[in-house]
Amino acid sequence: MAASTATIGRRPGPRWASAARRVAGGFAVPLGSVVFAFLVGGLIVAVTGGNPFAAYQGLLCGGLGIACSTTTGENPALQISTTIVFFTPLLMTGIAVALPFRAGLFNIGAEGQLLAGSVACTIIGIKFSNLPAPILLPMVLLGGTLAGAVWAGVPGVLKATIGAHEVVTTIMLNYIAQWLVRFLIVGGPLQAANGFSASSPIGAGAYLPLFLPNDNSLIIFGLPAGVYRVHTGLLIGLAALVIFAILLWRTSLGYEIRAVGQSPRAARYGGINVARTIIVTMLIAGAFSGLAGAIQIAGVDHNLTDKYFNDTTGFDAIAVALLGLGSAVGILFASILFGALHAGGSVMQADAGISSSLVQILQALILFSIAANFLRVLRLPVFGQRPSAPAPTAPAAALMTEAAKAPPVET
Amino acid sequence: MNFLSDIGHVLLTADLWRATLEAAALLLLPALGGVISERSGVVNIAMEGMMLTGAFFAVVADLAWHNPWLAALVGIVAGGLMALIHAVVSIRFRADQIVSGIAINIFAAGLTLFLVQRIFGLQDVGHVGQSELLPYINIPVLDQIPFLGRVLFQQNVVVYAALILLVVVQVMLFRTRLGLRIRSVGEHPQAADTAGINVFAIRYGAVITSGLLSGLAGAFLAIGISNTFVPNMTDGRGYIALAAMIFGKWTPIGAFVACLIFGLGQAIYDANSIIHVSQYLLSMLPYILTLVVLAGVVGRSIPPAADGIPYAPENE
Repeated sequence: MAASTATIGRRPGPRWASAARRVAGGFAVPLGSVVFAFLVGGLIVAVTGGNPFAAYQGLLCGGLGIACSTTTGENPALQISTTIVFFTPLLMTGIAVALPFRAGLFNIGAEGQLLAGSVACTIIGIKFSNLPAPILLPMVLLGGTLAGAVWAGVPGVLKATIGAHEVVTTIMLNYIAQWLVRFLIVGGPLQAANGFSASSPIGAGAYLPLFLPNDNSLIIFGLPAGVYRVHTGLLIGLAALVIFAILLWRTSLGYEIRAVGQSPRAARYGGINVARTIIVTMLIAGAFSGLAGAIQIAGVDHNLTDKYFNDTTGFDAIAVALLGLGSAVGILFASILFGALHAGGSVMQADAGISSSLVQILQALILFSIAANFLRVLRLPVFGQRPSAPAPTAPAAALMTEAAKAPPVET
Repeated sequence: MNFLSDIGHVLLTADLWRATLEAAALLLLPALGGVISERSGVVNIAMEGMMLTGAFFAVVADLAWHNPWLAALVGIVAGGLMALIHAVVSIRFRADQIVSGIAINIFAAGLTLFLVQRIFGLQDVGHVGQSELLPYINIPVLDQIPFLGRVLFQQNVVVYAALILLVVVQVMLFRTRLGLRIRSVGEHPQAADTAGINVFAIRYGAVITSGLLSGLAGAFLAIGISNTFVPNMTDGRGYIALAAMIFGKWTPIGAFVACLIFGLGQAIYDANSIIHVSQYLLSMLPYILTLVVLAGVVGRSIPPAADGIPYAPENE
């Protein structure tokens, strides 16, 4: 199998040593990228007259509930709960980017697919608002999933049949989805009667249950239970990661996806229907993203609002997938990081007076660093001996597999 | 159907076509930059971020020095510096050019917002005075021609510049030695290298040029069409320029035709008070048209052969 070559190390030595080296190598690139981003980000804060330590203290407190200043009064438990709410959709949009990566496809359209899922969930949730939860909840989640799949299926079909580049088509579909949302809730068919740029709420049966009862007499960690918004979408997200890992490594479809990603030509010679694999991969990816969009409506917002004009969950997913090196565990950690950054951004802005847009700067720096592999150029042994160009057929996917396996296999 | 008669009525006004050309010029500048960059083999989806950076720094410079020409220059240089990051990351470090482009766009959005807050605090950025904007210039005599005078010769100075640059880039790419070199580097860098062409120099030059052009477009947007900076004010125009580049099959003239079509959509959008169709649906038009083109309905749109592939010389 193509994938097993990654585990056949050429270097002699005890098994545990090569395993340890592999693990260290796997973590070195993403960790190094994050450190690089925080160093440069701190520099930008310092140069513009801010205090980077105060900024990062705000981020830590807001994101992970640690190192909170005693004067500002953040509740650590509430901050962690906010971070969880932020990272839940990233688990699924992260998969929506990572899975096509494995097939050598660059899905920039997770945002559009997520919006399609949110729109479908909202429409179904409003249309059938009287149905009871056991029927309506699966309906809205499934509807969102299907809408996302369709939204990603278009680029998949265009790529498989006439070779239209998926990067461009998914970008176009992102904007179509964004304008569709604006059309629907600003003067369009979904706008609520009150005149705000928002839809009516979905039926109560479509709400994803919260973990804690919405009961303000119950005090947990010093606050009423109702303020913690962590919802059961988290469980769906974690299950999605497990499904993603099994799909990729334990099914013949996963093998085909990886084979197409390594070399479409070789896969074709091996009897794999490349066009079909591309379409199926995009459908599945879009399904995960659409599910994330449905979960945001069903679990967090309960209606489609103008907040979705500026949603970046699908774009953050690109950083999540790259930083997570396309693996389920990696996506989990990367999602937590970006969820914490987003949750921490507002605390940083309030407490340290540093604009929460620093989070975007950090995200961009992480992307630069992981894509350019700056660390490798320093020629530290742990990062591999020589810089090498990614394979031309699938640059991003090659980059990811290359970074994930150490030592690299000679061909 | 009164929608069609409304469209017909609007299409007859010179103002609509004047606005169309203005909107097209704004898209044409980054589209030309994209054509040059991708013809040299470097995928560039970062025009959005480079425009936004140009817009921000042009406004900051104009507010500081009260000189639109100097401000436009600052905007151009700022766009160029953003492009330099893309060039270094994707040429020197051979990063995935799409990831680098996305990173540029996120970086530009974050940095401009961050700097707005650091420089201007929670207040507005502030407005540039009327006399400190990039001027609209009526060309003497020609501007008196009925209809055409209004459309072609009562435009912003940047519109004239964009039209001149269109001719310059078209001629440069297809009629000069430099253009041949750029195209050969984008089609077959190994062969170009063997023939003695400095692949890296050509690519750096092409990418930075795309940043300069996008920066000018940003300045035009901020201190020509508008008079201030608002966060994320480019609002996807860099991506529409990308679409125009593909729509135009990686040629300047083709991109210009696409920009005119998209510009007409924008102009109709702006004249929406007399047209009874949702402006949001109209905004989808450029993206849907591009999808249609990519779907092969109007013939295949094929990028340069080495577009997106980092160049690694054999002897390294």
